Amino acid sequence: MSIGIDIKYAARLLVKKPAFTATTVFIIAIGLGLTLFAYSLLSSLIFKPLTLGTNQEFVAIEGQYDYSHAYRESVDPFHLNQLVQEVDAIDDITYYGSGTALLSAIDAKTGTKKFNATFAKWNFFDVAGKQPIMGRNFTEADNFEGAEKVIMLSYEVWQSYFKGDNNIVDSMVNVDSEPMRVIGVMPENFAFPSHAQTWLLMPADQINPTKPSRNSAFGIARLNNSSSIEKLNQELSHFNQRMKADLPEEFIWRLRNGDNYLQATAYKKANSDVREYYSIFISLMVVVFLILLLACINVGNLLLTRVNERYKEIAIRVALGVPRQRLISQMLWESIFFCAIGAFIAFVLASWGIELTNAAFTRMFAVQQDQPFWWKLAIDGDALLVLFGAIVFMILITGLIPAWRALSGDFNAVLRDGTRGAMGKKASQTNKVLVISEILLSCIVLVIATILLTTSYFADKADYGVDTDKRITARLELPLEYYDVRWDTDFEAADHKKRNDFYYQLKSKLEDLPNIEAVAYMSQLPGTGEGTSHFEIEGMEAEVYNENPSSNNEVIGRDSWRAVGMHIIQGRDFDDRDAVPDANSMIVNESIALDLFPDGQAVGHRVRRISSRGEGEWQNIVGVVSDSYHGSAMDTSSAQYNSYHLMDSRSRQSINIAIHYKGGELQAKQTLFDTINATDANVAAYHIQSYQQLIQQPMMLVTTVSKIFLFCGVMAVLLAASGIYAVSANSITQKTQEIGVRRALGATDANIMKLFLSQAGIHLIIGLGIGIAISLWVINILQTTMIINSISYFIGLIAMPMLIIAMVLLATFIPTKKVVEMEPSEALHHD
Amino acid sequence: MQHKNKANKVLVELKNINKMFLTDEVETHALNGVNLTIDKGQYLSITGPSGCGKSTLLSLLGLLDTASNGEYKLAGHDVSHLNRDERAKIRNKEIGFIFQSFNLISDLTVAENVELPLTYRSDLTKQQRAKNVQEALDKVDMGHRAKHFPSQLSGGQQQRVAIARAIAGSPSVILADEPTGNLDSKNAQIVMSILDQLHAEGATICMVTHDPRSAARSQRIIEVFDGKIVSDQFNSEVSAIAV
Repeated sequence: MSIGIDIKYAARLLVKKPAFTATTVFIIAIGLGLTLFAYSLLSSLIFKPLTLGTNQEFVAIEGQYDYSHAYRESVDPFHLNQLVQEVDAIDDITYYGSGTALLSAIDAKTGTKKFNATFAKWNFFDVAGKQPIMGRNFTEADNFEGAEKVIMLSYEVWQSYFKGDNNIVDSMVNVDSEPMRVIGVMPENFAFPSHAQTWLLMPADQINPTKPSRNSAFGIARLNNSSSIEKLNQELSHFNQRMKADLPEEFIWRLRNGDNYLQATAYKKANSDVREYYSIFISLMVVVFLILLLACINVGNLLLTRVNERYKEIAIRVALGVPRQRLISQMLWESIFFCAIGAFIAFVLASWGIELTNAAFTRMFAVQQDQPFWWKLAIDGDALLVLFGAIVFMILITGLIPAWRALSGDFNAVLRDGTRGAMGKKASQTNKVLVISEILLSCIVLVIATILLTTSYFADKADYGVDTDKRITARLELPLEYYDVRWDTDFEAADHKKRNDFYYQLKSKLEDLPNIEAVAYMSQLPGTGEGTSHFEIEGMEAEVYNENPSSNNEVIGRDSWRAVGMHIIQGRDFDDRDAVPDANSMIVNESIALDLFPDGQAVGHRVRRISSRGEGEWQNIVGVVSDSYHGSAMDTSSAQYNSYHLMDSRSRQSINIAIHYKGGELQAKQTLFDTINATDANVAAYHIQSYQQLIQQPMMLVTTVSKIFLFCGVMAVLLAASGIYAVSANSITQKTQEIGVRRALGATDANIMKLFLSQAGIHLIIGLGIGIAISLWVINILQTTMIINSISYFIGLIAMPMLIIAMVLLATFIPTKKVVEMEPSEALHHD
Repeated sequence: MQHKNKANKVLVELKNINKMFLTDEVETHALNGVNLTIDKGQYLSITGPSGCGKSTLLSLLGLLDTASNGEYKLAGHDVSHLNRDERAKIRNKEIGFIFQSFNLISDLTVAENVELPLTYRSDLTKQQRAKNVQEALDKVDMGHRAKHFPSQLSGGQQQRVAIARAIAGSPSVILADEPTGNLDSKNAQIVMSILDQLHAEGATICMVTHDPRSAARSQRIIEVFDGKIVSDQFNSEVSAIAV
C-alpha cells in the first residue's frame, strides 16, 4: 500500500512539472539511446565473438596486420596444417584465400557475372559448422588429382543469378570460363568467411604441402571451449619459436614482422576495416560512455536542484516521522519513472539509428559487394541486457545522489530558519566537482568529435590531383582460361603481349568513339590504393634503408594521364622505348622531383626499391608528372609521393580503367560494356562507377562513423550547455544567501561578479586542463591510423575549448547577475 | 514617544519611512510612516511581535533594502537615493551586521570570514587587515580558532566570530538581528556580554530581539507593531555612553 502511495506521489510530481519532466526524460533518452546504439554497433562489428550458432568462438590466425599498406598478412598453409597437431587451444582449423569468380551458365543464357569467391580447404564448412541446404558438402576426394572441379553457391547467388533453379545442384557452370559442377547451395545469409558468394577449393598442392612454400592463406580456427585467445597466442608464440628454427633461408621473409609470424585475433577484429579504424571505433565507445556520464550528471543535477526546491517539504516529512527508506524509495520511484520513459524513447531512437546505419552499410558496400555478413546491426538480447544495466545504473545515480543530498541536511535548521540555510562546505565541494566534471567530459567529447568530423570533412573535400568530372571507372578482369599467366617460362613475354594487346585494343576502340575523350589504365587510380615502399636515389643513398624516402608505386598504361586530368611536367611520357625488356623506365610525381632532387630536376636520375630483403634494379626516371594523391586523404597509409611503371612489361590479369566521356554517364557505361564485348566477350568489367564514387569508397566507413560523431557532438554540445548552465545556476542559486551576506558586508555587484567568474575560471582551468590532456592522448592514438590536418587541430583544440569557456562564463554570468540584482535583504532570506 | 539625548550627535535619522511589498497583487505595508533617530553610542533594541516589521526596519537601517518613500540620513548624509554600489560602500565602512543564523561562509576559515568585509576596501593593506582581524577575534576571545572552519565551531563560537566580523572594520553602527535567537542561554549570555562590552567601548548598537532579557540590557527600547513605532522608552538602568 505504501509503495502504491509512493508511486502515485512520484507520478504526480512528474505531471506537475512537465517542462522539468520533458527535459529530464530527453537527457536520459539521449544517454541511453546512444549507449544502446553504440553497444549494438560495436558488439555486432567487433566485440561479440563470432560463433555461427555453435558454442565455440572463431578466431583468425594470420600474420601481423600491415598498417603501412593497410592489409592483412597471410601465412603459409604448411604451418597452419601443423597447428592442429601442435596447439591445444583450438579444436579445428581451416583456411582460405579471397578472389573473384566470373560465373556463367554453360548454355550462356545468363551472361557472365563477377561474384566474390572464397578459395577454401575442403573442411571449410565442417569447421564453420554449417551444411548446405541443398546438395552436399566439399569432401577430401574433391581435392584429389583429376577430381572434377566443384563449386558451392550461396543462397543469394542461387536466387538472384540462377533464379532459384531447383535443378541447380549437379548442374555445370562456367567459372572463369572453366566448367565446374555445382555441388550445393548454402543457407540464406551465410557468407562466411566474410562476404563470400561462391566457394571453390584451393588447389591440392596448397592444401597438403609437404614443406614450406610461398603459398598464402588466412587461417580460421575454432577455439577450444576451455581456452582463450590469450592462451592460444601463448601457444602460437612457442610454435613461432620452433617454426623459426626450422624455416628454410628462402622463407625468412615470413618473419619480417619479428617473431610474431602467426597470431590469433578475435575473428571480427581481424576484419581490415575494423583493424584500420579500430581507434576510431574505440573513440566512439569512449565518447558515448562520456555522453552517458554527462547525461547522468545532468539528470542527477536536475534532480538535485529539485531536491533543493523541495528541501523544506522533505524536512517536514522527516519531522512527521517518515522513515529514511520511504524517502529514498520516493526518490527512486521518481527516477524509475524518468528512466523507464527515457528508455522507451532511447529504444526507438537507437532502432532508428541502427536502421540508418544498416542503410549506410548497404550503400557503402554496394559496388564492391564486400559487406561482412555480420555487419548487420540489430538490438539483440545482449543489447537489451546492456540497456537494462544502463537503466539500473542511471536509476541508482539519478535516484540515490538526490536521496543522499536530501537526507544529509540539517532538517532542524531548515524548519527553524524557514530557509534552506547557507550551502554547506560538502555541498559546495560537490557542486565544484559537478561543474569540473561537466567541463572535462564536454571537452573530451567535443574535441574528439570535432576532430574526427573535420578530418573526414576535409578528406572528403581533398584535392586528389585528378579531374573526376565526367569520368567513370571500372575493373577489368581477363579470364585465366584465355589469358594465361606463365611466370618464369618462355611463354611469359607472349602472355604479357596478349593481355596488353587486349588492353590497348580496347583503349583504341573506345577513344575512336564520339562519346569517349580518353582512356587510362592504372593498377590503382589516384584517390584509391595506398601503402608505400622505400626507394633510394643514386648518389643520395641513406646509410640505413628505412631512412630513404618512400613512395606509392603504380603500374600505368601508355597515354593515360589526360584521361584523369594529370599531365607531364618534365621529360616525357612512356612510349615504345620503355616497352622493351630491361628498359627499366619510370615516371615520378612532382613532389618527389621538387623535394628530393637538386633544382627539382629528376629526369635522368636513377632510383631503386629498397627494403630489409634487399634492393631492386636501378630504374631511369624519364618523366615527371603532376601530383596526385593515392589512398584516402585521412589515412596515414596514403601517399603523396608516387612512382609510375609502364604496364607493358608487367601486364596484369586485372587492372583499373578510367574513362573520360562526353554526354551521359549511363551511355558511357553502356559504351564500355559494348566495346568490351566487341573486343573479347570473355573479359569481365565490374565495380563500374563514377570516379567521385570511387574516391568516396574508402571514406564511406569513416564518413558514416563521423555522422555518428556529429550526432554525438551535437548532443554533447546540448548536454554540455544545458548541464553546465544547470550545474552553475544551481550552484549559484544555492549560494544566494552567501551572496546576500557578502553584499551586506559591503561587496559591490562587480566584486560578486568577479568572485564567481574567477571561480568559474579555476573550474575551467582544471576541467579543460585534464580534458585537453585526455583528448591529446586519444588524438595521439587516432594519429596512428589517420592524418589529422591543422584546421582540425585548431577547431578541436582551440575552438571547442573557447566554446566551452564561453558557455561556462555565460552560465556563470547569467545566474550570478540574477542573484546580484536582488536586494541583499531578499538574498539573505532566499528560500 | 521618542526620547532624544541632545548631548549626543545624531547618527541615524529616519523621516516618515514607508515600505510596501507587492505579493500576488496584494500590497503589504511592512513599515508605515516610521520616524526614528539614533544617536552615536546609543544601544537600542527593537522589539515587537513576529511580522510587525522590525526586521524590515533593520534591513532599511542597514541599507540592505530601500524604503518605498521617506528620508534616511546616516551621519548627516542622505542615503535614501544612493545607487547599489554607493550603498555597498557605506555598508562596508559604516555598518556591521550580526545575524541570527550567523551567516558565516562555510568555505572560508574564521580569519577569512572576519577579513571578508575588509577585503572589499582599497584603503587597507594586507598587514592592516590582518591586524584588524586579530584584534577583532581577540575581542571576542576567538583568536585561537582563526584557522578553523565554521563547521568546526559551536553555535556560540560562530556568533562570536560573526561579531568579530561586524566590528573588524570599526563601523559607525552595529546592527544585530536576533543575535541570540539560535543560541542556548549560556552562549546567549556570552554574546550579550560582548555586545555590552562593545557598547561600553562606545559602539552604537541597534538590535532586533524577541527576548525581553536581551532588550533589558539596552539603553533604549522601541516597540514596533503593524509597521509603526508604538513605544520608545529609555532604560535608565543602562548608562549612556559619551561619544
